[in-house]
Amino acid sequence: MKIEISRRRFLQGSVALSVVATGATVSLAQKSDNAFGNVPAYGITKTSKDGVEIPTLCEICVNKCAALARVENGVVTKLDPNPYFPKSKNMLCPRGNAGIQALYDPDRLKYPLIREGAKGSGRFKRVTWDEAYAYIAQKMVTILDEEKDNRSSFLFCAGEGIAEHTFKTFYQSFGSSNWLNHASLCLQTVTSAYSLTLGAYPFSDFENANYVIMAGANRAEAIVTPDTMDLFKRTQGRGAKLIYVDPIFTNTAAKADVWLAIKPGTDLAFVLALTYVTLEEKLYNIPYVKEHFQDFEVYQNHILGHQYTPEWAEKITGIPAKQIRTIARDFMRHAPKAIYYPGRRSTFAKSDFQLRRAMAIFQGLGGGIDTKGGLVFGKTLPLDEHEADSPMYANAQARAIRKKEDASKGEAGYADCAIVSGGGSWIGWRNRFLEGKMPYNVRGMFIYKHNPVLNMPNSAKTIEMLSKMDLVVAIDTMPSDTVMYADVVLPECTYLERTDPVKTFGGVEPAIAQRNKVIEPLFETKPVMDILKGLTQKLSKPLFEITKKHDEEVRASIEESSHEEVYAEFDLTKPFMHSQEELNAQAVAKYPGAAEILKQKGVYYPLMETMFEQRTLNEYQYYPENSKFYTVNGGRPKTASKKVECNLSTMADKGVDAMPTWKEEFAYHVPTDKFRLITGRHAQFTQSGTSNNAMLRDLIDENYIWINANVAKQKKIHFGDRIEVSSSAGKVFLKAYPTEKIGPNMVFFIHGFGSQSKGLSLAYQSGANDNAVIEDIIEPVYGASVMHETNVELRKV
Amino acid sequence: MATYAMVLDYKNCINCKACEVACKEENGVLLGANYHRIWVGVNEIQGSYPDLSIASNAFYPSQCQHCDNAPCQEVCPTNATHYDENRVVQVDASKCILCSYCMVACPYDARYVDERTMTVDKCTFCSDTRLARGLKTTACQATCPTKVRIFGDISDPKSEISEILKTREYFTLKASFGTEPKLFYLK
Repeated sequence: MKIEISRRRFLQGSVALSVVATGATVSLAQKSDNAFGNVPAYGITKTSKDGVEIPTLCEICVNKCAALARVENGVVTKLDPNPYFPKSKNMLCPRGNAGIQALYDPDRLKYPLIREGAKGSGRFKRVTWDEAYAYIAQKMVTILDEEKDNRSSFLFCAGEGIAEHTFKTFYQSFGSSNWLNHASLCLQTVTSAYSLTLGAYPFSDFENANYVIMAGANRAEAIVTPDTMDLFKRTQGRGAKLIYVDPIFTNTAAKADVWLAIKPGTDLAFVLALTYVTLEEKLYNIPYVKEHFQDFEVYQNHILGHQYTPEWAEKITGIPAKQIRTIARDFMRHAPKAIYYPGRRSTFAKSDFQLRRAMAIFQGLGGGIDTKGGLVFGKTLPLDEHEADSPMYANAQARAIRKKEDASKGEAGYADCAIVSGGGSWIGWRNRFLEGKMPYNVRGMFIYKHNPVLNMPNSAKTIEMLSKMDLVVAIDTMPSDTVMYADVVLPECTYLERTDPVKTFGGVEPAIAQRNKVIEPLFETKPVMDILKGLTQKLSKPLFEITKKHDEEVRASIEESSHEEVYAEFDLTKPFMHSQEELNAQAVAKYPGAAEILKQKGVYYPLMETMFEQRTLNEYQYYPENSKFYTVNGGRPKTASKKVECNLSTMADKGVDAMPTWKEEFAYHVPTDKFRLITGRHAQFTQSGTSNNAMLRDLIDENYIWINANVAKQKKIHFGDRIEVSSSAGKVFLKAYPTEKIGPNMVFFIHGFGSQSKGLSLAYQSGANDNAVIEDIIEPVYGASVMHETNVELRKV
Repeated sequence: MATYAMVLDYKNCINCKACEVACKEENGVLLGANYHRIWVGVNEIQGSYPDLSIASNAFYPSQCQHCDNAPCQEVCPTNATHYDENRVVQVDASKCILCSYCMVACPYDARYVDERTMTVDKCTFCSDTRLARGLKTTACQATCPTKVRIFGDISDPKSEISEILKTREYFTLKASFGTEPKLFYLK
């Protein structure tokens, strides 16, 4: 029988804890530092009558839906949807509802820690914040002195989040050139391809589209707001016909009108054939193309000349030619109220950049751009950005990338990809580091809210990288697999314990929203803003001494003016001296009353008071129909030329196809006795970040591997049998789920499980980590991680 | 005095289980229970890859049907199961002797044992939590991403739920049992 413990008790425990003498060794693997003794700590409380509601923004995934946190006697008892936010439209998904469990997770990081045992051992010493800062400062001074003030000898990496910018400010003023974030593990290729082709990464108007092609974007399970809510109220004969393209039958397939079981990684051939039919049969929007297309004829000749016929595509994709013809015709008949959904996901195949380009151009052929029912750019309410000058470091080297070896022979681009944008390629960077191909020494890294051990292909290599760093500082809320390899752990408070930078959300119905602090931080945790304030106060002066020592110009400047004056330029504490509340008020100062409304309601947009209205139990009006921003650019793309860019000749200079072109190497091929590994998401888990959430684990506590029912029969694999999955990257074990929902030469399991961190008492070794077997295959244009091109072997054990 | 009921536009359901989590958080439902207050019913998909029947994989969000002629209430020997003033089927835990007759009698499998109290528990339409503090709807209704549910008073002919039942076609589950469920599924 389970014994329930109330949140109140948890808090009482936490108070007792914070007076425990410091200096004791803490093993994150043991429960010795939680106050629960033998009582199971996970539980939930019923709401009661008295309480207050504080508006916040969810941080359990990237959507940032608006929530109202119910606080009863200082304890958060419930998260409810906040109706004011047009992006999330009065809803919270299962993960949003379960956010309380992140706040009251007994395993969360509570105090600053310094590593005691071997890297990865999970043995840490509890220290004070001051001790942690001093330790970091001392190590950094040594490293920077030895590296002659090359600031780029430190890598900074971060996961997605509103406060990512705060952390990035530290990276900028510190002066490193090595920044990596989730982009190349996530949506780098899709955002870049749409930006280059249409001038921006657009929104989809699912409230008004009548025909939707959704390929490789499982919106019923990988929830995106408002897309998920808008679309699935209208499919299956209720306004929007949904053509869903995915090798596996997901919950989105269950809500579709047509499901096409495409061969993995061949979507580009599908889109090229749709384009072929559209051009061959002249189905496209002739006036739109005439006015808003660049190099249309060149593209037309390219598509028709290559004979990208439906029959050609059928052989590659497995989708019948007849069906491809029908879909092209139907799409163009419904256009411009037809959407080929851009999606928001990681990169599945090497062809991904070209796939997204082909999708964007196909969308343009129907004219469904910057118009109701199509892809829309929407409007964004501007905020006043607070920018501080970053110091210049003479000895800071450029980003640790390498040009291609034979650049002299006219070979363009970089060693691991054609273009380095934003952070560049995470796995490319990691592998270069491990292979000793760095242009200089990188010896330390700061990791903020990021779990590269689990979120990047080939976990073994990431662990090796972390182990080889002289100093790893992790700022996080949970003892993730990555945190286990840190030298210093700085505990951040959860999103319910802090006010974050106010954020503006563009779209057809734009709004500004703010994450307000719901309760004071528990234990000794702090917001990243305060963590960086404390750290830079300790770091700034000693690091300036290093700069002085290695930078003649700085010494000369001091001679000319004064130490004080020159130091002021290099003062790292500057960006962190204001409170977040103060900065937020400044950011929205141009909107009268906005700062106060954001505190009270969590959401603001001009005229909200008069426009916002509850229509029925489930329907709200945010903007009246005639005030919505469907068209903001006269129906034109947002590119510099104001046209759809079919032919990117500048890309050709970098060795990238100027127009989407099919290549033999993109074809789906799986050797006999092997299986293509497909990964994905579902509605009850957000990557590895929610793996220890007691409430979500109550819905699903391990991942199963989907195996085609017939294949399973032949191999005598039954439901629940233990299966070894192996590749050149590693092997994992998980339980079998034989099903008709997947094809014979592929397997699938969801991402986010298989944690090896003993600090996560619920998540530890439950299910399997996909990235332990996904090989490090690099997408050629932006260096994104290719998630669906690994073939694995299966063995029943 | 009201007669609370629920309409389910079940075709909207994406089986995300937000309703289930909201219910547990609101009402402090026992974690780890195999059956609890609210769930989404899914049938095994028909056909073989890639010729699968989409219709066979429909999602049926469900919970206690708050039957107007509830078999659970009829069989309860201690009157623990009873109708409250709003025609909501409730369990008075202090009277429950865990005979489990109600669990057997319920055609919808809507009841489970709360191992903390060793009594039978089920959906209450949030009567003792949200409705008690003056809110007009349940946690499952409020949180649903695709807005499956409409909660309201069917004794009020002007209520939103009454209007919908007048204008839309609907069906009830296992109607032939004569249980007169108050969960209405829109066609």
